[in-house]
Amino acid sequence: MGSGNWSTNVYDAAARFRAASGTGAFAYSDRVTASAPRSTWAAHPSLDPKDIGIRESRDSAEHPTSLAIAVLFDVTGSMRAVPQVLQTKLPELFGLILRKGYTEHPQILFGAVGDATCDRVPLQLGQFESDNRMDADLGNILLEGGGGGQMTESYELALYAMARHTSIDCHEKRGRRGYLFLIGDEMPYGRVKAHEVRRVLGDEIAEDIPISRIVAELKRTFDIYYILPAGSSYVGNPEVLGFWRKLLGQNVIELDDLDAVCETIALTVGLGEEAIDLAEGLDDLDDIGSAAGESVGKALAALGGRDRGDVVVTNMRLL
Amino acid sequence: MHTIVVDLGYGDAGKGTVVDRLCATATATATAAAARPEPVRAVVRFNGGAQAAHNVVTTDGRHHTFAQFGSGTLQGVPTHLSRFMMVDPLALTAEADHLRALGVPDPYGLLTVDRRALLTTPYHAAANRLRELARGEARHGSCGMGIGETARYHLDHGDDAPTAADCLSRPRLIRKLTLLRDRLSDEFGGPLPAPPVPHCAAAFTAFARTVALAAEDHLPRVLARGPVVFEGAQGVLLDETHGFHPHTTWSTTTFANAETLLAEAADHTGTQPRPALRLGVVRTYTTRHGPGPHATEDPELAPLLPEPHNGHGPWQGPFRVGHFDAAAHRYAANACGGVDALAVTHLDAVPRCPRLRIIDGAQRHAPGPDPEDWSAAIGEVLGAPVVLESYGPTAADKRDRRETGKSKYVSGKSSGLYV
Repeated sequence: MGSGNWSTNVYDAAARFRAASGTGAFAYSDRVTASAPRSTWAAHPSLDPKDIGIRESRDSAEHPTSLAIAVLFDVTGSMRAVPQVLQTKLPELFGLILRKGYTEHPQILFGAVGDATCDRVPLQLGQFESDNRMDADLGNILLEGGGGGQMTESYELALYAMARHTSIDCHEKRGRRGYLFLIGDEMPYGRVKAHEVRRVLGDEIAEDIPISRIVAELKRTFDIYYILPAGSSYVGNPEVLGFWRKLLGQNVIELDDLDAVCETIALTVGLGEEAIDLAEGLDDLDDIGSAAGESVGKALAALGGRDRGDVVVTNMRLL
Repeated sequence: MHTIVVDLGYGDAGKGTVVDRLCATATATATAAAARPEPVRAVVRFNGGAQAAHNVVTTDGRHHTFAQFGSGTLQGVPTHLSRFMMVDPLALTAEADHLRALGVPDPYGLLTVDRRALLTTPYHAAANRLRELARGEARHGSCGMGIGETARYHLDHGDDAPTAADCLSRPRLIRKLTLLRDRLSDEFGGPLPAPPVPHCAAAFTAFARTVALAAEDHLPRVLARGPVVFEGAQGVLLDETHGFHPHTTWSTTTFANAETLLAEAADHTGTQPRPALRLGVVRTYTTRHGPGPHATEDPELAPLLPEPHNGHGPWQGPFRVGHFDAAAHRYAANACGGVDALAVTHLDAVPRCPRLRIIDGAQRHAPGPDPEDWSAAIGEVLGAPVVLESYGPTAADKRDRRETGKSKYVSGKSSGLYV
């Protein structure tokens, strides 16, 4: 039996794939939003949090000391440019962390946050990856572009998923917390709502969970940072900043240049791992020819002066 | 309930048309509402690669030979290529183009590929053809697409074998393709007749940007959502372990891979596996495409039983027709651990071809001109109920025995054997 019916010409295969997929980096998003009615939009299967199981960051022979780094960003209307920038900057993020030795075996997970009260796809979560497979996760994120305009997005749902649906060896085996970066411009809702958890993740929880409690729970395994970049709707908004500062203390980073997002994340990890102080980190940015130094320096000034020990103490007190 | 569709012959029994029917929920609405099946969530391929040729004809006359897309595609059912598949991205583009021409707007949108699936490349195909040519008259009946070479290289070189995931990283892909090309070139003592590595890499990275490459938790989630049809390729009598060497394929063609995937999914979610119906497919006559044993072959049958979709393949040789080989199909059913139920295809050939017999060892059996008598006789010699009968190429030409209430083997809704 067998066919051999289908031509296998390598010379037009690439063009045929490109013709089918369009050219955007967010191929999945472009395809879904262009070709299907909004009511049918769904997360890409690799990112769908429904019955998510556990997202794992694991040590392996190749990566004996893994470090979990999660980057979740707002994909509602006001923030659509951020994922685009993240994707073009991705090699720099990984390269910077590795080449400058901030940590040896980073494993990066990407996710996206929307608004569970009105979006079809309020949460998307990839996997922790040690190579540029995460590139594919990024390419599969659906940029729904919804959101409500009421200054709230469902960050609390993402925090819940990260608290209850991750398992990371850096913490379990070595007592080192992972890093979680939230990039957005709005506030979370005040409670993790049981009915949204059921609908979006498939978990049954008995009652709503106050945001402060889920943050406290998540802080056992992750250092949480909130980055509010320029170019977003509520930049510099005291209400938004104040809300996050109450939850995360000084781990709230205002960034005046959207293009500096990846450098900011890399240096934050470098500082947290005590691989560098801020001045060394900024030198590293110069080294690799990054123009982001000034913005990053400003943004991280508050973090630069303290070491990770302080963070632990702060968190102990919060718990 | 999931269904695993496996061919109990040498391939070509009609798995494609059976899978198409299983996916056709619209035509099943005549069934009593209580027994109406849940829509099929996905077709999962669990063996072989792009050499499969599963023909499906729609009621409005469109025809497609499915190779890597699942045979439920024209019913709108998505396909998942599991980790046991060997994926040929180049052949995939041509198949997708044809599907689009048939009115499937976004074929790639209906496809997910496990990242661990092995890649079949032009280097494998070139090595395959060189090796088969070197055998001269003693050909194995290969399709010339490099499926066996893909399996062989993986056995010999393990993680050096390119996988779908490698298409996500151009540097890694180029390293692996170069190593593959160089090793195979060394083996054949000269450059392979295949395109340069950068050209292949360009096509493969474009593949990764276009088709969703799924992580290992994808299939468990799909399986948890609803019924899935596992579509086997080739036939049990070609199985790498149970077939007749050397005329075998480098693939496990039994239920084993599908059941492994179901068990892995259950492990992954920490649940009991959903039950799966083991459905064996046979024709009313036994065919074989290419060389190798065929005990009941009868050259006089061939002109009486024309084969619209299978011709003389340049790499496989002729399409051979014989009487229903009960011993061989029974051996196949036993070799794969038994079947829960049967689908019998080409029952429409029975009245047209009175010469046709069921041959069981020394016995020649003629159930008569009534196709239903053939269906019953085949169920009897293979010791399993016939739940699906096919009288023609389209889903509408299929009969669910339990809908007609005529199956003497399956009692009805409560049996759980709904297909």
